[in-house]
Amino acid sequence: MRRRPGIAGIQRDVATREQYRSAGEEVRRASLQQMKAQLATFKSSLEAFALQHKADIRADPVFRAQFHTMCANIGVDPLASNKGMWAELLGFGDFYYELGVQLVEACLASRQLNGGLMELGALRAAVERRRGSRSDPVSEDDIVRAVRKLKVLGGGIDIVTIGRGTYIRSVPGEFNTDKNKVMELAQAAGYISAGQLASTAGWSSQRCERVLAELLKEGMAMIDDGAPDKIRLYWFPALMPQQQQQQ
Amino acid sequence: MGSSSTFSWPYFYQYPPYFTRQPVKETADRQSSLWGSLILAYCKHHKLYVLSPSEDIPLWVNKDINRRLAPEAAVSFLDDLVAAGSALWLDGGAKARCLVLWRRLPDVAAAIASWAASYGMADSVMLLDELAAGPEVAGTELEGLHREVLLRALQLLEAQGKVKLFKGATPEEEGVKFL
Repeated sequence: MRRRPGIAGIQRDVATREQYRSAGEEVRRASLQQMKAQLATFKSSLEAFALQHKADIRADPVFRAQFHTMCANIGVDPLASNKGMWAELLGFGDFYYELGVQLVEACLASRQLNGGLMELGALRAAVERRRGSRSDPVSEDDIVRAVRKLKVLGGGIDIVTIGRGTYIRSVPGEFNTDKNKVMELAQAAGYISAGQLASTAGWSSQRCERVLAELLKEGMAMIDDGAPDKIRLYWFPALMPQQQQQQ
Repeated sequence: MGSSSTFSWPYFYQYPPYFTRQPVKETADRQSSLWGSLILAYCKHHKLYVLSPSEDIPLWVNKDINRRLAPEAAVSFLDDLVAAGSALWLDGGAKARCLVLWRRLPDVAAAIASWAASYGMADSVMLLDELAAGPEVAGTELEGLHREVLLRALQLLEAQGKVKLFKGATPEEEGVKFL
């Protein structure tokens, strides 16, 4: 005869659910362990890979960038700490620390020239010159990573995007959207007039004069009254094409 | 007088805003310093001694970028060279002719004294014109020295008791005795 669930039936159900639950936990536990094991395998494979390709990672910027991407995919940041496994393994801490010092020096050296705003390619070239021909080459990607590291340490260094270009700003103070806009509009020719700025950006002449005066005062802009039509032009040394820049 | 090798222009010479005097002090100071160095280098390369702020020379005029340094700006940069002891105005306040001392006067004086010693010129007398361009200086570093530079360098030597300058009836008769 079919028995209706009684106390025993309910207790049985509870017990069954308990069994399922603990079985489920067991599965999760097993999965977690499996995952940890797998991550540990990844990690040691990555370490072995890094060790084996140490020379290439140091010497080839493209390979180095790919290595960074691979690490990021696995959730490993070789730059996270100056100490520890990665620093010892690759000397990464030293490499990027040294690079950070060199790029700050290069920025400072050219600050008078460009007002503290330096195009990434130009900065890379300047850093390479400082490092000398016999040292490991550095890429723009390396510079960006080093700048990000420096940012964490604090102190007025930043990456600024203007139009199609990437610039490193090494002066404190505000690089607001108006200034950014002016330089973006001036990017193609390397210069702009107050009139061109007003009509292209749609700004009042006061606003134009104010931003241009600020950029001038900060050393990021220079005036040029020698154009054939005598209209004053504002030039931005930071936008100067690389070949023209000072050694 | 030209030169055998081409003059190498610095980067700022190709950048238009440098041909306009900058209003912001820091930028203006750097601009003056850059132009000062260029003026000295240009004069040294071309063995020029006297510059005029308004003359039509490649120093002041860059045809490639269609810019000309205004005479007032040139005067200002030359004034700065004068203040630094590397140039002299030959015409007082008019500032139309500037003697550029791309070689320091004491160095020129030392070169003259050294030449005099190696040529055994003690107790000899020479006309200034001979000292500037005569056969005795041909091929030496004294050849082609501008008269104004020569005169001032000799004045230095006179103060040091190494020579005695004397005027003749005409400028052509100005001379020097090596002591």
